[in-house]
This record gives sequence, structure tokens and C-alpha cells, in this order.
Amino acid sequence: MTLVLLLLLFSMLLGLWRVIKGPTLLDRLLTIQLFGSSGVAILLVLSKLLALPALLDVALLIAILAAAAPAALVQRLGKSRADTRSLGKTP
Amino acid sequence: MGLLLFDVVLCALLLTLAGAAMLSRQLVHAVTLFIAFGVMMALAWARLQAPDLALAEAAIGAGLTGALCFTALARYAGDAGYPKPKLWLPLVFVAAVSALLLYSVFQIPAQPTTELSERVAEHLAVSGVSHPVTAVLLNFRAWDTLLELLVLLLALLGARQVPSQLPLHAGWSLSVSWSRLLSPMLLLLSAYLLWRGAAAPGGAFQAGALLASGLVILRLNQQLAWLSWQNFAVRTLVLAGLIAFVMAGLASLLLPGQLVWLSWPVALAGGIILLVETFATLAIALTLALLVVGEPEQEPADA
Repeated sequence: MTLVLLLLLFSMLLGLWRVIKGPTLLDRLLTIQLFGSSGVAILLVLSKLLALPALLDVALLIAILAAAAPAALVQRLGKSRADTRSLGKTP
Repeated sequence: MGLLLFDVVLCALLLTLAGAAMLSRQLVHAVTLFIAFGVMMALAWARLQAPDLALAEAAIGAGLTGALCFTALARYAGDAGYPKPKLWLPLVFVAAVSALLLYSVFQIPAQPTTELSERVAEHLAVSGVSHPVTAVLLNFRAWDTLLELLVLLLALLGARQVPSQLPLHAGWSLSVSWSRLLSPMLLLLSAYLLWRGAAAPGGAFQAGALLASGLVILRLNQQLAWLSWQNFAVRTLVLAGLIAFVMAGLASLLLPGQLVWLSWPVALAGGIILLVETFATLAIALTLALLVVGEPEQEPADA
């Protein structure tokens, strides 16, 4: 089970490159989505491994917030003039 | 061995994300890094077997903080005359806080004492709830929680002194319908967390933060035109958490055999805690949502 945990975490490590390096804002936002879904998976495995069923609630919370975040973020970014440039192409 | 590697990689990820967020040239990138940091922090709390904190961090770090920072950024971008901050002042501040934190780390005994948790377990039966964290927050140390609600209210009142006008744009139809689709689920989940709080990790703060992110998402998509400080019902509900708490404290004083302020009679404790938590959830949700979205420039015609 720890192997699964490690694999999931390493998939996040790969995402780290995109969230730091970019190059576009869209890459970063999508990486946050990847972090959200890998995080849910890690929490599900951890709840079995540590025998803590309450972690399932945390996974549920992250899952729904990861789905909800773009609705707030994209709304703000798409319209503010300063960021419209960096959404599409490299800064 | 595998778990140790997991811990090391998780710590490295956390530190890298924190460092990258601080050193990032563009504020937008710093904010996205900070949201990623919030998700990682929730995982770290989960790994430390602290589901209560993991829930709070997930609700605030992964949900609200992102919306708060992006909204602040949208206002900041419009204000070009804002002076560029100097780097050394934040650095001195961060160094001072880090030194204090390091100092406090050395105050923690190497072997954690079990005396307090034993005493909580001993009195859990008379608290009205079966989850020790909720018992401490809403019964044994209810005074602290009452003051925390007051702090939140003061934060809102302080933020209201600054003119904060949120430019509202017409929502994209996809994001509007997506937010409408999600909001019932957010509502259901926060009610679930509130109810769960009596027996398992959860409770008013987590439920309130989750509900707040639902409100913020809808508000940013031009829904919920009533969500404004001008609205009398909203102001009442913002105060309702404190009022319900104080009223419950005063009412329990009137009952025979009650001598201490904010100590619930055993038979009614469960009901009182649920009542106080329900109002606290509403108050927290509205306070946080108002803190994030502020006041609209004008009421949108199509709500």
C-alpha cells in the first residue's frame, strides 16, 4: 500500500515542475487540479493505511473544492485585463 | 521505510512550494503556488493523523484562500499607483516570526504528556458530544471559541473600514451553470460536516468555511445579489453566531445548579452545542464570504 502512496506522490512531484515553471498560467491551474485529484487518492490510501475513516471526509472536501475552484478563479482571471495575456501565451 | 520516504518527499514538496511562492516574480504565480501549498498542507495534517486540522486546512487553504488572493489580485491590478513594496521589511518580519516559532518548538516536551487527553476522555460523557475535539471547543473551552467568533467579526468590521469595491463582470455561462450545479453539493457537504462534528472530525468552522467558498463562488458568478452588508438579514446572521452563543450561556446560568458561565447542563448539552454550532456555521460562512467578496460596485440587474 505504501508503494501506491509513493507512486501517487511522485506523480505530484512531476506536477511540481509545471506549477513552478509554467510557462502559462493555464499550466499552473491544471497542475493544481492534478494536485487535487492525486491528493484525494493519497487521502483515500492514507485513511486505509492509518485506519482513520475521518480522512475520507477530507478527501470528499478536497474533491468538491478542486471542482469548485476553477469556477471562482477562471471567472476572476479571464476578465481582469492584466492577466488575459498570461492566460494564453508565455509571458 | 516506504512511509519515511513518503514523509521526506512530502516535506520537500511543501518546502519547495513555499519557497517558490515567496520568490515568484509574478503575484498570480505566487497565488497559484500558494493554493498548491494549501493542498499539500492538508495532506501533511492527514499524514500526522490530525483529521480535524486536515479538514480545516482543506476548506480554507484549498478553497477560500485561493478565491481571497485572486479577488485581492483583481483589485490590486486595477490600482496601478500602488507603491512597490520593499523586500527587507517582509524579510525582517518573516525572520522574527520564524525565530519565535523555532523558540516555541523547543518549548514542546519531547514526550507528549497524556494528562490533558486523559482528563478530556474522563469527562467526555458529560459533554453532550462524543468527539473529544468538539467537546473541548464547544463545552470545556467554549469561552475560547466564543472569542474566536468575536475575532472573526472584528476582522470583518476592520476590513469594512477600507473601501473595497469588487468589480463584478458578467459571468461566463459555463462557469455560471457550473457554480449553480456545485452549490447544492457544497451546501449538503457543509451540513454533513456540521452534523458529523458531534461524533467525528468536523464542526462549525470547517462547515462554515466550506459554505463560505460556495457563497463566494456563486457571488463571483453574479448570483446571490442579496449577499451584501447593506442587507439587514445578512448583518443579523453575521452577528447570530455570537448572539446565539451568549444567549445560550446566559440561559444556562438561569437553570438551577448552574454556577459557571458557558457551562452546559448535562441533559441539554448536545442540543445546545448543535444550536450554537448551527448559528456559528452561518455566521462564519457569511463573515468569510463578505471578507472575500466585499461590496459590489452596484447591484447587478440580472441576479
